Amino acid sequence: MTAGIRRYRTVITAVALAVLVGSLVVTPSAAPAAETPRRGGVLLAVIGADAPSLDPHQESTFATLQMVAPLYNLLIQIDPYNYPKVIGDLATEWKISPDGLTYTFKIRQGVKFHDGSPLTAADIKASYDKLVFPPQGTRSIRKIAYSAVTSIDAPDPATVVFKLKFPSASLLDNLASPWNVIYPKKYLDKDPNYFMKNAVGTGPFKFKNYTRGATFEGERNPDYHVKDRPYLNGYKFFISPETSVRAAAVRSGRAYIEFRDLPNSEVGAIKKQLGDKIVVQQTPMVGQFGIGMNNTVKPFTDVRVRKAMTLGFDRYTAGKVLYPLTGLRDVGPLIRPGTEWALPQAELEKLPGFWRDAEKSRVEARRLLAEAGYPNGFKVVMKNRNVKLPYQDLAVFVIQEWRKIGVEVENRPLETATWFNDLREGNFEMMINPTVEFMDDPDQFLNRYTKGAPQNYTRISDPAVDDLFARQARALDPVERKKLAHAFQKRVLENAYYMPGLWWTRNVVHWAKVKNYVAPPSHYTNQKLQDVWLSED
Amino acid sequence: MRIYIAKRLLLIVPTLLGAATLVFLIMRVIPGDVALLIIGGDAGHVDPRQLAAMRERLGLDQPLLVQFGTWLWGVLRFDFGTSLWTGQPVVEELLIRLPLSLELAVLATLVSVVIAIPLGMLAAVRQDTWVDYVIRVVSIGGLAIPGFWVGILCILGLVIFFGWGPPLEFTPPWVDPWANLSQLIWPVLTVGYRYSAVTTRMTRSTLLEVMREDYIRTAWAKGLAERAIVIRHALKNSMLPVITLIGTEFAFLIGGLVVTETVFTLNGVGRFVVDAVAHRDYPVVQALIFLIAFSFVIVNLLVDLTYAWFDPRIRYR
Repeated sequence: MTAGIRRYRTVITAVALAVLVGSLVVTPSAAPAAETPRRGGVLLAVIGADAPSLDPHQESTFATLQMVAPLYNLLIQIDPYNYPKVIGDLATEWKISPDGLTYTFKIRQGVKFHDGSPLTAADIKASYDKLVFPPQGTRSIRKIAYSAVTSIDAPDPATVVFKLKFPSASLLDNLASPWNVIYPKKYLDKDPNYFMKNAVGTGPFKFKNYTRGATFEGERNPDYHVKDRPYLNGYKFFISPETSVRAAAVRSGRAYIEFRDLPNSEVGAIKKQLGDKIVVQQTPMVGQFGIGMNNTVKPFTDVRVRKAMTLGFDRYTAGKVLYPLTGLRDVGPLIRPGTEWALPQAELEKLPGFWRDAEKSRVEARRLLAEAGYPNGFKVVMKNRNVKLPYQDLAVFVIQEWRKIGVEVENRPLETATWFNDLREGNFEMMINPTVEFMDDPDQFLNRYTKGAPQNYTRISDPAVDDLFARQARALDPVERKKLAHAFQKRVLENAYYMPGLWWTRNVVHWAKVKNYVAPPSHYTNQKLQDVWLSED
Repeated sequence: MRIYIAKRLLLIVPTLLGAATLVFLIMRVIPGDVALLIIGGDAGHVDPRQLAAMRERLGLDQPLLVQFGTWLWGVLRFDFGTSLWTGQPVVEELLIRLPLSLELAVLATLVSVVIAIPLGMLAAVRQDTWVDYVIRVVSIGGLAIPGFWVGILCILGLVIFFGWGPPLEFTPPWVDPWANLSQLIWPVLTVGYRYSAVTTRMTRSTLLEVMREDYIRTAWAKGLAERAIVIRHALKNSMLPVITLIGTEFAFLIGGLVVTETVFTLNGVGRFVVDAVAHRDYPVVQALIFLIAFSFVIVNLLVDLTYAWFDPRIRYR
């Protein structure tokens, strides 16, 4: 071989190697394109309880709302991506009169119910009549939020008018309630309880199938009024009361999401195993878990006993102990701490049950019990819901706390429907009784302490409390309203009418392929799934 | 034998009639107004019209004999009324759940028998050896360890080590046998292990008793092989109590697996019973109690017939 050929070969080899190496160099990729929603797929979710009924107007459990919310629309709604902003849903615009006594809504045209009938203002009127002026034989859990409303009119098919007897600072927020789904009037006229077992709405999904104790399914509504929505072909809930089973279902991919909450311990394990295939959205929650004492049943008719019980509950330690298990963490008053309407922490810590010194609190608790005639404590039954997270865990903690002041409390777990029934009927001495709402609104959180309110399960009857509530509800000046809301909370907590426990944080765990779902502070909102999509099946 | 079978089949009728009567009476004799319990009432207030409507719906406004006649007539036609909770006919709701519970009961019983009888036999013939000790420890484990814990561990093990979980929805075996098996194999093994523990111990003790009988001693003296003695002579005679146990367990499995069903997300009869009670779904509760009574009656009949096959000394007339 000649030197020339050898040199040629060397050059060729060098060039080839250079090309090879060059091809392995990572070239800067183009900027990633925004993800394009993919159509298709069925969203699989697990849920921890079965629905007592399918009518959100009459229920207050996530088990009802999460399953049926995708089947319906609201008049106005909380912005799914910008809590707590209120935006239109079936309403395209609205006006509030200068005196705050008239709210006029313009209704979107061309919307159809799943049975093909057109939606008009009459349907909205009928749905709200049911909410605000519930017919005999039905319940409207949140009707007190609309106590200012005197009438609801539909002067034409595209207009709904709410008339008030006094201005209501919270009315717009309350009208955005996720519970206020809009039903077809014709079914309500026949039977106001029709929707307890049936589902006909205007939502992005139509009802497909419901097997109690097993599954709830919705399928895509091809005639949905929002163009190109929904992306999903359907959704399916698997009902499983056991937390570890739900966590395992998400972990194994049998379910893609758990909308309510999974405890930190489960979340840690899932994340460790699945890494970035899983997304965990942690958010503080618009809800707290506390304990209701039946104010009409001895010994809780005595304020000293009630105060002793709240003093005996060391909330600060509870937050440390229960947070890893349950997400319950923050000590606060009757409205979420750190929000606009909550009693400031400095004032809260002066009230019984919120002192920093736990031992001092217990000494005072025992003194109050002795003064009330219970020097050796007493025995009582506390009814509870048989949902472990966090009902049972909270019960375990508080029971051992009260034992330290001589009060023996028996935890009695009940199935959801029974628990709700006993709450409503006042059939309890003590009850684990959360206050969970869709918004940090004083009307929503405080109305339950007023006489006659549907959610006044603990039978509180204090004219001063009622007066403070009424005044804050009408106060359009935020400064004045805040003062009244604080005074209200002080009054309720000083008298220990109710024992708030800990405010919740929640972990919404989902597979990364579930796109465009933002977990809001409330597990009641953003459940319509209109904009959710799956990047793969 | 045929006469015996015919007699027993005829006897089912008064037995079930008795069960139906008992179920009827229990639901009406318990203190309190069922209709009031069902409708509850907001803050203790009850709408009298609603209460009257509920009583009419449940037939409680009729005289007791008329109610009983209606109930019996419904039982004969398998019409147990409409569920107050779901609004669907009770029979339809049962038919959704019964296939799963029946399949679970049958498979779990089969598994427990397949595990238990050989193990019980082995433990008996190898009494006081390490084989016997191991089998006894395993069976005590089955008795002592709660079934739901085993179930949860089973699921966690699958998820952690294989990244796989059982399906969450029941698929009948005739639709997709593989999906059916992949869901049910785990609760079957969990329940089967638990029940095999009881059956193993029973098989072991009854076989040990029979092995001490004189005729077994004679068989040994005649020089028969151990296998022939145990299987042909001893095992059959020790089976009567074991069959009774297997039968009772099977009948219990139809509606008694609420915890297992919860752990494995199975929509079976067990969970339905508990849910129906919690929802005060009176027609469903009545139907399910009757169904469970019916299962016990049928299983007892099958057990008695099996006795006759196992033990020819039993001559029924």
